[in-house]
Amino acid sequence: MTPFALSHPVVEVNTQPLTALPLNLVALLSVAHHPKAGAVVLFSGEVRDNSLGKQVDYLEYEAYPAMATKMINEIVNEAIIRWRLTFAIAQHRTGIVKSGESAVVVITTSAHRTEAYAANRYIIDRIKHEAPIWKCEYFTDGTKEWGGNCNCQKQTGDANKHIYEFDPQNAEK
Amino acid sequence: MTIQTFAALKDYFSTPYEVLENLSLISDLKTYLIQQNSDAENILNLSRFAVNDTFVDLDFEIKKNDTICIIPPSSGG
Repeated sequence: MTPFALSHPVVEVNTQPLTALPLNLVALLSVAHHPKAGAVVLFSGEVRDNSLGKQVDYLEYEAYPAMATKMINEIVNEAIIRWRLTFAIAQHRTGIVKSGESAVVVITTSAHRTEAYAANRYIIDRIKHEAPIWKCEYFTDGTKEWGGNCNCQKQTGDANKHIYEFDPQNAEK
Repeated sequence: MTIQTFAALKDYFSTPYEVLENLSLISDLKTYLIQQNSDAENILNLSRFAVNDTFVDLDFEIKKNDTICIIPPSSGG
């Protein structure tokens, strides 16, 4: 929990990497502002109302908290050093998340926007591919499916080698 | 030994899952689990193994009191 002053009251903001509570994007954004940051990028991964051609009722996220917390912290810290960010945070929901709600948020800030954008994409890619977090999709027809698995190793032949949507090599200055 | 399974793997092995045989390597554990439930072979081949919260290779030697987790492919976000 990080205390910060909004206008007058000091508010406690939940900054844990995993939380069962709704993600408070506005509160997290409030702690992200930094006097040396000219760019603040916020990515919110939200639940769509359809998947696999079916109507989604809700998603349920399961995590292995010990490893997921540690990995998210490591990924964020690596990005802070790599892109010399002024601030970065990532937070993922657990439990039931309904369509239109945020399942994961990543905020990165830096002096200029190039680094904040690059670091943000790096963090979300790695969380999605590597962190021990899983979604189960519950459809309105009553069926459910563990979905959206990372299947990179079918191409890379190694469970620890991933093909990211965003290649940070191309974003280096 | 007791292992923990997650997500889709729980449809094949309840968690915590008790393994009564003495197994020395993670690869032995994987072979054992496939013998117990051959339907799980595909997902076990895609899963990573973690011992005491660190990912390990198949040739890792299991020690007494190790906490073993089987981590299916991630699907967060």
